[in-house]
Amino acid sequence: MPFKKKPQTFSAAIKPVELGTGAKATVIGGENVLPFYTFDAPIANAPKIGMEISDTMMENAPARLKAFYAGCETMADMAKKAAEVPGVAFLALHFESADPNGADTSVEDCAAAAKAVSEAVDLPLVIMGCKNNEKDSELFNKMSDVLQGKNILVLAAKEETYKAVGAGAGLAFNQKVGAESSVDINLAKQLNVLMTQLGVKPESIVMNVGSASAGYGFEYVVSTMERVRLAALGQNDTTLQMPIMTPVSSEAWSVKEAIASEADMPEWGDVEDRGVDMEVVTATAVLAAGSDAVILRHPESVAAVSKLIDQLM
Amino acid sequence: MATLFGRVFSGSDEMVRRAEEALAEASKQFADSEPVAFPSTAYYLACLYAMSGIKVTNLGELKASMEWIKSQMTRENKTHDIFTSGVATACAAEVIEACKYIGNPDPYGHDPLWGHCTDAEVRELGVPLVTGDIPGFVVFIGKAPTDEQALKLVKDYQSKSVFVFLVGEIIDQVKKLGMKTGFNVRVVPLGYDLWSVSHVVSVAIRAALIFGAVQPGDYDGIRKYTFERVNAVVNAFQPVDDMTVACGAGAISLGFPVVTNQRENIWSVPKSLIIQEDVDKFVETSLEARGIKIKVTNIDIPVAFANAFEGEIIRRGDMQFEADGSRVDCLELVRTKDASQVEDHKIVVDGPDFDAFEVGSKISMAMVVDVAGKKMQSDFEPVLERKFHAYLNCIEGVMHTGQRDMIRIRVSKDSFAAGLRARHFGEVLYAQIKNEFDVVADKCQVTIVTDPAKVSELRKEANAIYDKRDERLASLTDETVDEFYTCIMCQSFSPSHVCIVTPERLGLCGAVSWLDAKATHELDPSGPCQVVEKVGVIDEEIGKWDSVNDAVRKYSQGALEVVSLYSIMEDPMTSCGCFECICGIEPFSNGVVIVNREHAGVTPLGMSFSEMASMTGGGVQTPGFMGHGKHFIASKKFMKAEGGVQRIVWMPKALKDQVAEKLNETAKELYGIENFTDMIADETITEDPEALVEFLTEKGHPALSLDPLM
Repeated sequence: MPFKKKPQTFSAAIKPVELGTGAKATVIGGENVLPFYTFDAPIANAPKIGMEISDTMMENAPARLKAFYAGCETMADMAKKAAEVPGVAFLALHFESADPNGADTSVEDCAAAAKAVSEAVDLPLVIMGCKNNEKDSELFNKMSDVLQGKNILVLAAKEETYKAVGAGAGLAFNQKVGAESSVDINLAKQLNVLMTQLGVKPESIVMNVGSASAGYGFEYVVSTMERVRLAALGQNDTTLQMPIMTPVSSEAWSVKEAIASEADMPEWGDVEDRGVDMEVVTATAVLAAGSDAVILRHPESVAAVSKLIDQLM
Repeated sequence: MATLFGRVFSGSDEMVRRAEEALAEASKQFADSEPVAFPSTAYYLACLYAMSGIKVTNLGELKASMEWIKSQMTRENKTHDIFTSGVATACAAEVIEACKYIGNPDPYGHDPLWGHCTDAEVRELGVPLVTGDIPGFVVFIGKAPTDEQALKLVKDYQSKSVFVFLVGEIIDQVKKLGMKTGFNVRVVPLGYDLWSVSHVVSVAIRAALIFGAVQPGDYDGIRKYTFERVNAVVNAFQPVDDMTVACGAGAISLGFPVVTNQRENIWSVPKSLIIQEDVDKFVETSLEARGIKIKVTNIDIPVAFANAFEGEIIRRGDMQFEADGSRVDCLELVRTKDASQVEDHKIVVDGPDFDAFEVGSKISMAMVVDVAGKKMQSDFEPVLERKFHAYLNCIEGVMHTGQRDMIRIRVSKDSFAAGLRARHFGEVLYAQIKNEFDVVADKCQVTIVTDPAKVSELRKEANAIYDKRDERLASLTDETVDEFYTCIMCQSFSPSHVCIVTPERLGLCGAVSWLDAKATHELDPSGPCQVVEKVGVIDEEIGKWDSVNDAVRKYSQGALEVVSLYSIMEDPMTSCGCFECICGIEPFSNGVVIVNREHAGVTPLGMSFSEMASMTGGGVQTPGFMGHGKHFIASKKFMKAEGGVQRIVWMPKALKDQVAEKLNETAKELYGIENFTDMIADETITEDPEALVEFLTEKGHPALSLDPLM
């Protein structure tokens, strides 16, 4: 009997969300099939890669990453370098130093740095905060203000901050808003419902359903993403049809496999190779589970993941 | 005789006449091509732009816009016309104000008069309005009876984080008493002329354009947004002239109630135009009229308040005094009251305060919390009341146990010395209820009674209420309600499990009764408890409904298709893993054993609780095994499809003792069996299946003669 191909397409689809403006604007989401199932139906928007530029990451950066950004003095300098890496669709500016328990960089200084980046490159921008709820709310609103019209994404509003961030970034300044929940489909769903009730348009929301590095409770992440995607496509759950963006780098580059020195762990080999491996392994897995975009730090990881996406699409 | 309609129309005419005068005056100085704009806004003359869609950029266009304004002032004496005339009045006022800005970007000078607010200021105000950090805003018009009253009102609003706009002489009144004003202190004097009120209307309307993405010209869309989302209220002092009445009609049209102390020639309209002769009560009246809820951010007590103190034990030696419900009259009670009977944040101590009692004494104490709210239901009273325990325990140096009239409260010597008194109990209860139950508790007042005679009286009233609640609980059956609830609180670790909570089958964790689920749904409408309408009955005997199956399918993301609520054999309800008890069939006796989590030993099935748990949890259907709450054991719906509680053949002794009274009642009612629990074996009798059958035979246990389970 000859093989008969039966495509499994869904009548529901993920909402496409556009980030940035002009020729370099990029769209994530839009598909109506499972991740990479291009044999079922064409996927118009391939998963996208964003490069993370953190304002603290150079302090302990491994050698090749340091070399890559050699000569860069400002975030804008780094952004110019990152923007030239093939496969990079957007930049994720990560203001870790804004943490009040750390360097406590003012929102004005952060905003000035982001503004300089937006003038130096024309890639879409994602803004990441310092994980302090109050400071992040303030930071995201300031960024949305100074980058008005740039169609940025703030990553992200959480259950505790969705009103301030949703109202500021989403409503007052009409930017895109991330909805961050911690590895639980119902929390992800509830946050989307609350944000839309607030008045944020569903097509302005991108989800971060939580992440972990491979090997660190990662099966929960994969299971959550799969269930979110199956509910969105299989059950036409409109409150879960937002595209998913997963910040991989901040998780991958903080586990011991990525940072334990060769002196401590000679049998593990080159520390930078390990970090890149963690980042690539985690990214490929979350892409396969349903992420529409990943944020990576190392140019070598970008090259590897970008090649994977190209070959699978 | 004047009528409200007449006053609105005449005020509206007057404002238009003044607008035309202002335009004529401007025309003397400027050509029609002269630019007209408020500074730093993308919304032209926002009121006019939003309501009509007209973009005014120069004097000629400004003049032309008067045509639209006049077209809104129809005179059919219908309610519709006073509203459109009111909105037109605000637009005419905006025209007058716009004339001031021709050739002068800052006619007011911002010291202290503000005039136009920029888009940036609207956004700055808008975000906290949306988040609730600013619960609303109030606009004062005119002159308060005294300067002191003016200051007190403004400060009262300010202390509640309500944003204040001032129009008219009240500006000088508060200035005279040294009040600081400005956007940063959230008290903004707009201007002395009534028409400067258009600047705050512009703020409200731009909120709709910016935050609501309402399209300019969408007249009803703007009104809908301001009515639903902008918590504003107007306070107008007497004398209120016709123009103010006309502006008031505009405010009401946008959903903002007007509160005034004028009595003559004014007609109250419920929820919209409110006459409050006592100016000192403006704040309370206004907040209630607009439904503005105030968050309590800090609790004013002399000791710490934190979860860390929840488990604190106060020993006799450290105790200043105690209220012991087992010895003297004590109670705690939540009562639902009408809004008119509750004064928000009123705290009354009736009787001697804590410092009147000797060290180590046993005092009588009653804590009565009266709650009023549009969404409050008497069914929520026990839900709120049960939280007293946690709230009071969070106070440093206070220990609370028990509930209803069997409470015991100890206060430590240290906290007493720090100044803790009866009033502070009231402050804590007030703040916590307002914060945690803000959806249902619009107003809340607390009475702490320490006079023994009065507490005894109250106890009679309380007991009547408790009895009524118990009757309500007892009368709540699956048949008498129209809806069940889902509970998916546990899905974070048991992704496909869904509890269906009914009056006679509480959540398997034992923590979520039907009333709890109902309250959870009301407080958190998009949360874990959703309504399941009881429709589409398939088989009431084993508990199958179409709607229940739909809900289970939806909330398990398709993992489960069918559930029967009253059967352990056919599509039983799944379990997450938090069940208080597990029930499993015991083949030799044709019955079931029940084992609770606390029981460490084995059951006649040869399995312990944890071994049975591994077969029951995880959101999968395992016929013959079921997780459930302790209270479900005495339910008439307990495996009703298989014959009910008469199938129970074995339970750990501790559990049996705990449920005996209610279980015996149920067995008597259903089968006429007296002392049914005496027929049920436990670990002190046997853990062996053969010995179990012997015991059951000896007792004449009904399970032995029932239809086979398998």
